Amino acid sequence: MKNQPVEKKYMPELPRKEIDEIQSTVKTASIKVIADNIERMKKTSPNRPAAMQYFDEISNFFGQRQKEIIAEKAKGKKVIGYFCMFAPIELILAADAIPVRVNSGWYDTSKLGDRIVPVEVCPVIRSTIGAKMVELSPYLELSDAVISTLTCDGMTKLSEILSDCKKVLTMSPPRVKDSAQSLHLWNEEMKAIKAQIEEVTGNKITPKKLRAAIETMQKATKAFRRLQDLRKGNPVIMGRDAMLVNQTATWDNITRWTEKTDALCDELEKRVQQKQWACPPDTPRVVITGTPMFWPDNWKLPTLIEEANPQGVLVGDELCSSDRLLYDPVGIDEWTMDDMLNGISERYLMASTCPCFTSSDGNEDRINWLINKIKEFKANGVIYYVVRGCMLYAMEYSRVKKALDKLSIPVYYLDTEYTREDVGQMKTRVEAFLEMLTARVEF
Amino acid sequence: MSWQLIGDSLEWVIGGGLTLAGILSILIWKRDKTKRVSDLRIFIRIVAMIGMYFLFASPAWLLAVLITIIAVTLFFGRFFCGFVCPFGLYMDFVTLAREKLRKGHRRLPENINRALHLARYPILIFFIIVPFLLSGFSSLGLPSALYFSGPFKAWTVLIAPLEPLVVPWGNGIIGFPEYSTSISYPYLSIIRSYSPATDFALPLMLFFVAITIATSFVTRRFWCRFCPTGASIAIVNKFRGFKWAPILHINKVEEKCTKCGICKRVCPVQVLDVYEKKGGDIKTSMCMHCFRCVEMCPYEGCLKVKMAGKTVFQSRNWLEPSKSE
Repeated sequence: MKNQPVEKKYMPELPRKEIDEIQSTVKTASIKVIADNIERMKKTSPNRPAAMQYFDEISNFFGQRQKEIIAEKAKGKKVIGYFCMFAPIELILAADAIPVRVNSGWYDTSKLGDRIVPVEVCPVIRSTIGAKMVELSPYLELSDAVISTLTCDGMTKLSEILSDCKKVLTMSPPRVKDSAQSLHLWNEEMKAIKAQIEEVTGNKITPKKLRAAIETMQKATKAFRRLQDLRKGNPVIMGRDAMLVNQTATWDNITRWTEKTDALCDELEKRVQQKQWACPPDTPRVVITGTPMFWPDNWKLPTLIEEANPQGVLVGDELCSSDRLLYDPVGIDEWTMDDMLNGISERYLMASTCPCFTSSDGNEDRINWLINKIKEFKANGVIYYVVRGCMLYAMEYSRVKKALDKLSIPVYYLDTEYTREDVGQMKTRVEAFLEMLTARVEF
Repeated sequence: MSWQLIGDSLEWVIGGGLTLAGILSILIWKRDKTKRVSDLRIFIRIVAMIGMYFLFASPAWLLAVLITIIAVTLFFGRFFCGFVCPFGLYMDFVTLAREKLRKGHRRLPENINRALHLARYPILIFFIIVPFLLSGFSSLGLPSALYFSGPFKAWTVLIAPLEPLVVPWGNGIIGFPEYSTSISYPYLSIIRSYSPATDFALPLMLFFVAITIATSFVTRRFWCRFCPTGASIAIVNKFRGFKWAPILHINKVEEKCTKCGICKRVCPVQVLDVYEKKGGDIKTSMCMHCFRCVEMCPYEGCLKVKMAGKTVFQSRNWLEPSKSE
């Protein structure tokens, strides 16, 4: 199939030499950025938990995990990539495939994406297209198929553009969550994607396997929630570290990730008892919401917050790249195939707080999620992070602001791009906000 | 003699079964956190069913039971349906058997379910009026017929779901006259007393047993959706003057709810209010207080069972969270 000359609808035919050249440049830069980010994270919290060592290693895109996946692929395992949180990881695991999230966080490749789509398009999309053009992302390259959920406009067209060079399985979520017909549609989508996953992997998803997969994910959720619960009290772990742990779950072997996260939590619990805080307990506590942030490049905002003067600490977020990832478990009433599939489809659709949904109550779920997060994590302020072109998140800002004003929680709207050029002015803005929060905390 | 033996062994079986159920419940309580309340409920209901065997020995006791139920219902809602009713237990056993067979269940369409819930009241009225109508044909005359003669016990329909599997009278499908017990089933004695000829009664009763088992095999707790007992219980809480009375509620904290829909899916009688209501106390007569939703809700403290304002039991992270600050 690979050798068949397929006419490409979007992707330009780049000469091999150019691809290799750009790829190696970006790759070298990226490895440097990863190392640099980790270095800075270590610097911010001098007594960083020892268990973070593992996550530092696994966070390298071009390291251990890439080799592992290549080795497993050689043994006949398939890799299925996915973009949005809507992709049913349980089904992928049940089909003996490796799920990896393939959204791109590379700043450099977003400029390459400009050759295909206009600059106004969300940089996450542009960057992903760019990464594909130069075959940069190891996980995207290794995946046999990509599940693309048609959430926002960018994702919708991205699946079309990517189908030039990858097998793309699309899932179309309804835009209204809680009507009977929308759930019905999504249940049908789930059945269809199950059949497609079975076709790609060549493995049948049996009830037994699916149950095992669901239980694996429930265990992961347990570890995940344990980590988040630890962040409720005085900060024992810096927000960036926790964010990295959360995000590694999207490409790591989930069983191993669970073990390592539990080990990290054990260590953190000891620290709670010894009252060893990662930063002074009166540091302003910040929650981020908005556009997802992807490792490695788009680590700008959390880095700014935690390295700012006055320092802030990230206690939680409402990002589908971090705190929302494994928060919701699949709850199964009866372990029959039907109920398991329904359970999975409900977990991905109904519990989601993606702004792609609309309802007369104004996406109340997201507001509730945020309010709950703010109350439970005793946050002092919220930074509403939006990249230019991310329409849905940008449009929901005033709604969120109104709701949070009622709780008199300050919200700060921060829009940026996939670029390093605005770090300086962003720093000023973040520091001004943190200054205000510090004053409020002291007050 | 031989019936005596069977009776004795039956008692042993019941005793042994109880012990086994207890041990099993404790084991499952430890093992599966998502089924704690469900298993506890099965245990409580088995005990209640056995207790009811003795209550069924005399009508006076039954009347007392009925009064207790209505009084308790005033304060606890349909608690009885979830924690006592043996008929519900039979249907839950059918569900368990279905789960073992790995067959899925079907949800009734919401409008039909709602219609059935509304149909409870006409059904109840029908059951109460019929004895009055039939009493005209009785030789005993109206007042005594209402209370004593077989077909005219208007209130028996209300306690019919309470009928345990073994009752101390000879009105069941299979009777053991020497031991004056029979294998029974809810509503059977009523069907039997209403049907004119005995040879017609048996097939009718078997048909009823078959159809209730079959329907509850397909749809969970099918009978409960239009059960006249449930309706009578619900009516008590419907009176305006009694709005203050119920002290047992399911309470929902709006902010913790992510609307993941688990509560909607696990509910055996398809109550939508828990899912749809934004927050606060859930007061619907459709809910039979099985607390399955509270048990399955994965968000700590989102759903609570509140008794007189105090939280008795609340949804918790059944994935086991860490106990730290």
